[in-house]
Amino acid sequence: MFMGILTDLRSSISRATSSLFTGGEPKRIGIYGPPNAGKTTLANRIARDWTGDAVGPESHVPHETRRARRKENVEIKRNGKSVTIDVVDTPGVTTKVDYKQFLEHDIEKEDAVRRSREATEGVAEAMHWLREDVDGVIYVLDATEDPFTQVNTMLVGIIESQDLPVLIFANKIDLDEASVQRVSNAFPQHETVPLSALEGDNMDEVYDKIAEYFG
Amino acid sequence: MPHQCTGCGEVFEDGSKEMLSGCPECGGNKFQFRPKGADIPDDPTPPDAGVDEPVPDSDDPDPPDPGGDDPVPDRDDGAVAGTVGRATTRVRDAADPATDDGEIIDADARRDNGSVDEDDAQASARTGLASREDVRDVGEPRTGPAGSDPDESGPGDSEPAGSGTAGSGSAGHTGAGPDGAADGRSDRPPAGEGDRVESEPDDEDPDLTELREQLNDQFESIKIVEPGEYELNLMELYDREEYIIALQENGRYVIQVPDQWIGSDLDDR
Repeated sequence: MFMGILTDLRSSISRATSSLFTGGEPKRIGIYGPPNAGKTTLANRIARDWTGDAVGPESHVPHETRRARRKENVEIKRNGKSVTIDVVDTPGVTTKVDYKQFLEHDIEKEDAVRRSREATEGVAEAMHWLREDVDGVIYVLDATEDPFTQVNTMLVGIIESQDLPVLIFANKIDLDEASVQRVSNAFPQHETVPLSALEGDNMDEVYDKIAEYFG
Repeated sequence: MPHQCTGCGEVFEDGSKEMLSGCPECGGNKFQFRPKGADIPDDPTPPDAGVDEPVPDSDDPDPPDPGGDDPVPDRDDGAVAGTVGRATTRVRDAADPATDDGEIIDADARRDNGSVDEDDAQASARTGLASREDVRDVGEPRTGPAGSDPDESGPGDSEPAGSGTAGSGSAGHTGAGPDGAADGRSDRPPAGEGDRVESEPDDEDPDLTELREQLNDQFESIKIVEPGEYELNLMELYDREEYIIALQENGRYVIQVPDQWIGSDLDDR
């Protein structure tokens, strides 16, 4: 009798915990990509569309985002269902950071050096998060730029080796020089979604895919 | 059809000279490599091609068997001896994209296996404990690594243990430059190989020296060229268990080490 109650109790507890982890836990989706691809613009677009808040400041100056920023519990509603994710906006990943690139943007040397150091720390942090803390990746590329770079192939390779679900976003399609085809050619093994995070172009498909891949 | 222009799709046979000055059709200078045996899992070329990161170059030679837990030794043997020339070229080219693509095209599965193994190997080598054991097992041959090993693990281990959450810097990583890098590196390429590279080939082959320097540079996770100018090794950063919190002005950096390190280090000593 007593044992029976215990057994019942145990099974109901395990049922409760399993539903908690399968249904409730939001997936942590990292937005990765090279500097100036539009990662923060995208993160802000997603956050504003579904929560009303922004994630962080956007800028034409590369490495504006030097610390990973997270927006939690972003609930995206698609086709009568809802998907809840934590959006993690990460610093642009690169193999070289040089303070001189900031001087072109009217930033004083001392400030540029500090910025450069922070950007480097940011890349280290982004790589660490990729290893430890993300359940899925949105890889954002500037569709006006050549996608065949060492950084892109390396990062996508790492993501694949982790078996993380990944979507390739070909951003900035509002610009004439954008070539979505070139991006999808570079990563034929993954789904490429064209968009303009700045203009809000094709965001319906973006949210459909997010729900499909990370829901 | 080994090489294909990523711009216009023009295909060039392996070794053709036209592509050396860019694609004659569209002027493009990026080509993807398509190994002939793309479909054959055992084909040795794919692994090479697949290696996006610089480090992996050493894989080229042997990596056919993904199964090996300890790929390091194999890798070094083959790679250093056989493919120095090619590897050097590849490293120099830096934009490995072509090769990478080729790999992607042929077999994702194989690539995955390979890279995973590699990661494990690198990770274990990095921790220092593993490599030290390796060194012991193997015996004398690796004088070089044995020497460097202690150095590297020394700073990393002892510091963190003492300080708790954040250890400061550590000679190994900081490596105000090339020297530091070298230590870390030789350590990494897992013991055996590193030695061999240093002792034998150096004298004989200038290419090898160059290759080693390049690989060394790449093995360091963050190289401080000058204040405000940094070169990052993404694979290395990704592989590290410890987390770099802050770069210091003096060229050191502060790291946060995993909790389990503290206990194991003490035991070790």
